[in-house]
Amino acid sequence: MSEASSTLADIPGLLRIENAGKEELTARCLELTHAVYPHHQVYGQYCTLHEYVDCPPEAVYDYLRQGHHLQEWTCSLRDFAPSGTPGRWVGHDRLEDDTRIYCEVVANPEAMTVDYHCSWDQGEKLWMIYLMRVVPARLVLDKPGSVITWTNCRHPYYDANPHPEKAPRPDRPWVGDYWDLFYAGHTVEMNNLKAILEHRHRNGLPVSTAPSRAVTR
Amino acid sequence: MTTVSLTDVASYLPGEPVPAEFYTEYPGAEDKLRHHPMFKVPPLRHHVAADETNADMIERAVQPLIERHGREEIRAVDVLLVHSQLPDLPFVGAGTEVARRLGLNPEWLVDVANAGCASFVYMLKLARQILTTADAKTALICNAQSAAGQWFTQSQVRRLAQAAIPGDGCGVGYVTTSSGAPVLDVETRHIGSYAGDMTLAVDDGRKYWEPGESQLRIAFTDAGVAKVLARGNRLVPEVVADLCRRLGVATADIDVLITNQPNRTFLRNWREALQLPAERHLNTFDAYGNLFGAAIPVTLDRAIRSRQVEDGDLVVLGGFAHAGDFAGAVAVRWHGGRD
Repeated sequence: MSEASSTLADIPGLLRIENAGKEELTARCLELTHAVYPHHQVYGQYCTLHEYVDCPPEAVYDYLRQGHHLQEWTCSLRDFAPSGTPGRWVGHDRLEDDTRIYCEVVANPEAMTVDYHCSWDQGEKLWMIYLMRVVPARLVLDKPGSVITWTNCRHPYYDANPHPEKAPRPDRPWVGDYWDLFYAGHTVEMNNLKAILEHRHRNGLPVSTAPSRAVTR
Repeated sequence: MTTVSLTDVASYLPGEPVPAEFYTEYPGAEDKLRHHPMFKVPPLRHHVAADETNADMIERAVQPLIERHGREEIRAVDVLLVHSQLPDLPFVGAGTEVARRLGLNPEWLVDVANAGCASFVYMLKLARQILTTADAKTALICNAQSAAGQWFTQSQVRRLAQAAIPGDGCGVGYVTTSSGAPVLDVETRHIGSYAGDMTLAVDDGRKYWEPGESQLRIAFTDAGVAKVLARGNRLVPEVVADLCRRLGVATADIDVLITNQPNRTFLRNWREALQLPAERHLNTFDAYGNLFGAAIPVTLDRAIRSRQVEDGDLVVLGGFAHAGDFAGAVAVRWHGGRD
């Protein structure tokens, strides 16, 4: 412990009970607590949402890990088909006309994380990454169902399209132009996701559906 | 409906300003938290004299009103409302003593013991109600705060971080049935679920009036402070926003906001929540400290005198009390007509 402490002592800016004490920690936290937070401060660099869904976590995870379901709960991702690269799909983002979106699902069943690695216009570098996690609500809210968290980070490409030449036309708006609406757009999509999962679970229907076209893995 | 105006305000600050060092250089002073906004020590505050009572302060605060409006006018008030942050006597409010000193003979006299730091707002509401429904034409509402120089200077309390924040002072308002500076609307809430959360600590467990050695102080736990911060953060912007909604104006259209001033963190948070620049959320924290209930009228009086409030301004006065058991806001279209 003393070794760990001496190592930490070299690191500036740490606020820990050993150096600050409880009162100092509390005072610092009170100072950081505002009545309101501007949108850009909360959602400017990262956009995280969370929602409770009355559907078992296993079923939610299973639904999310199957990428073709994005066609159900997202606002505008449609017509997914195999891209030719195993595990990679290509579809349309109908947010903008003629815009293709490439997508891979990276899922971890133990952690119940489902990450969608996506990109507009090209499939070589998937940089629009949607990080989702399913948490059993029994653990965190003491009730059945699931909590879903969803985070996007503001990759530099959101602010500058690295491949404008791959856009279907020169005046096609860029996905990053919508960053300030991500919280709102993702809220709408999260509401869709919740509605679909809860409807099927409540009515005893299969939560997942078969893909319309097979995808090579 | 009869229009009621906050016709004038006046204030009194006892003694010479007391510098921060009175606390910070006191032996054994807790100074670890002083650099945090919630506990940052105001450079100055005033303290009541040892023999100065709430009635004394009110009597002095009312003098400018007598000079501006005439002794007979003030003597003729029908309503006298008094809030004493630290009553000088149990049982007895300061109200009748104030009436005796000033030669008043009000039909309505109430010593208001609730609504704490927002009691000026609540008394303005009460006065307006009485003036519009009873055969009464004028009211005097008074906030006296005398805890700083008495309670917070006790030998053991003086070294606590909480002791350096308060200041003493008195603010009074002259309320009349006229349309000069109309009270446009009032929004108030008593919140019973937060009652009892502000307590006094007496370390030997005695009742405050029983003999003993321990010194009376306000009991704040860290968790308690966090809770009160969260409540205050929510309550004051809520009542001000609700008031503005009823008036049909945006909070950003408030020309002058004056609130109670418990610390700099609350002032910052309320200003941010209501989207007001600092120059339109006036306070006297640096000069007078936390004046509790007297903050609103004292700051308003100073703002008028320094012409930070001008004729025609939409002035909103708001605040919350204790650990959140009351919140209120009042809007006035200011027309003071002072020279």
